[in-house]
Amino acid sequence: MAERFDMSVKFAGLKLANPVFTASGTCGYADELADFLDVDALGGFITKSITLKPRKGNPTPRIVETDAGMLNAIGLANVGLERFVAEKLPVIARMKSAVFVNVAGTTIEEYVAVVERLAEEKAIAGFELNISCPNVKKGGISFGTDPAQVEEITRAVKKACGSKVLIVKLAPAVTDISVTARAAVAGGADALSLINTFTAMVIDIETRRPVLANRTGGLSGPAIKPVAVYLVNKVYREVAREAGIPLLGLGGIRSAADAVEFLIAGATAVAIGTASFVEPDCATQVVAGLREYCLRKKIARLDELTGSLHEPA
Amino acid sequence: MTRKHASRKKGSHTGTVLSNVQAGECFWKLRLRFDGEAARAFAGFTPGQFIQFDVSDLAIPSTGSIPTALLDGARRNVLLRRPFSFSDVTADADTTTADLLYCIVGPASLRMTTLREGDTAHLIGPLGNGFAVPEGKQTALLVVGGMGLPPIRCLAKSLSIEHPDIETVAFIGSRTVNALPLEERPARFDKGMSLSVPTFATLGVPSMVATDDGSAGHQGPVTECLSQWLRENPDRPREEVIVYACGPERMLAAVAQIANAKEIDCQVSMERRMACGIGLCQSCAIECRVVGSDETIYKLCCQDGPVFDAREVVFGADDA
Repeated sequence: MAERFDMSVKFAGLKLANPVFTASGTCGYADELADFLDVDALGGFITKSITLKPRKGNPTPRIVETDAGMLNAIGLANVGLERFVAEKLPVIARMKSAVFVNVAGTTIEEYVAVVERLAEEKAIAGFELNISCPNVKKGGISFGTDPAQVEEITRAVKKACGSKVLIVKLAPAVTDISVTARAAVAGGADALSLINTFTAMVIDIETRRPVLANRTGGLSGPAIKPVAVYLVNKVYREVAREAGIPLLGLGGIRSAADAVEFLIAGATAVAIGTASFVEPDCATQVVAGLREYCLRKKIARLDELTGSLHEPA
Repeated sequence: MTRKHASRKKGSHTGTVLSNVQAGECFWKLRLRFDGEAARAFAGFTPGQFIQFDVSDLAIPSTGSIPTALLDGARRNVLLRRPFSFSDVTADADTTTADLLYCIVGPASLRMTTLREGDTAHLIGPLGNGFAVPEGKQTALLVVGGMGLPPIRCLAKSLSIEHPDIETVAFIGSRTVNALPLEERPARFDKGMSLSVPTFATLGVPSMVATDDGSAGHQGPVTECLSQWLRENPDRPREEVIVYACGPERMLAAVAQIANAKEIDCQVSMERRMACGIGLCQSCAIECRVVGSDETIYKLCCQDGPVFDAREVVFGADDA
């Protein structure tokens, strides 16, 4: 019998059963994962990006594997708001985990329209604002790299989301991520998630063409983890700690040890992304491993870990 | 295949390696044994379904045994699982054995060659939708292109056991004869339809071989053999005929065109780069027609396929 340990964490006013989420775009609409793990055992679940209208997504090839990572250029393929409400929401409503709907769009009005429609839905704990997708021609990352636009879109969406929690997902490839983080906080973000993928390219040297039909894609996986740990720590020290804003850390996590690094760096919770493609039950494995770590290190509560980084020896 | 003990649930499973040998000039054969729940899961494997093989923890072969062309890429880390179909599945009361044919094309398949008898293989499956046999079919025409052979071989076996009344013939195409994953090579390949290819002949399925370079059988695309057969057998009611195909997309497009023109049912097994195989990553999009509309939609190769009705697929050149 495993020793009892309270895995719960407070996240932007919500009490989560544990600090492990599945990341947007890597866990479908929940039913896809149900064959492989108990979706109720997740701390949080973030849907793939929902846009006002359905999106077909990009032509293929949409992915390519790299050394210790992968590039994707899916192009926000999704069923659109109305079908999401009709077909996916009833499945999500049965989940015990905190569900966040990731929202994307090409104009501020589109983001607001999606959030307004869903703001009263009891099944949803909050929203994650995708202003950092590198794979669409309009919107996406262009919102996320300009601090003035980050603040404006965050403020507009916050107004529309009522009592729901608003997480803003930050783009990593900016001159100073703390500037966009501050802009999101100024706009009213309840939490920040970081990092989204890095725009990247793979070239087929035989044909001299980019492998992806979209030319470029977002780099994810273990390759980006040390950068993500650094950026989480930077935003924690420079913005989040003082503002009292929790961070959801992600980028290349595939083990409990990886997750602990993010917590020490300053994250309150973590999300599993690319690793779920390889091990669909990775998130629940990380929950179990976190529990073992806390027991072994005699840590009373998980939030003791958040931002507990020591200075170099 | 015995379906008595089959379960329909997909999941993460382990198999035990029974053997893993180079079975021909261009390909290897991995035989796996499944026990318990995995045996039940794969007893329900439908030809054309697939598995996602985890190769991330397999060793790299010693430098001397790495083909020169792969030396640059051999040491690249492998993160994602790789999709494979089975060429044979045999289920008995407690265990299920399955054969996986693969050729060495990159760092993942190179690592698979280091699997030894007794090793554990980690895989997810069975995944996707396999070939279906509609009511009323009397003739099945199987069309293979190169490494598209394994699922068609699996289907041929299943037809021979479960639908012995259906007349089945195979058309086997390849760039060159040595690129065909045939375990037993005949002394000579007949030009026409014959029982000269043991892989199909042992199942009672006559076959015809076509190679681009003329190294065996008919010189030219395999679709020429299919067209010729249809010309020579004009009396079959078209609603009683079905075409099953697996191979490069260009070949599938040509097969579909022939079948669609003659209004013959045709199922094609598609291939796309995929990260997860279970509908999470949305990478493996297949452009499909919508009945009664000019618009097209993307379906997922992993969940909606990999076997599709040839009428609905908008064929492209990608990943070919």
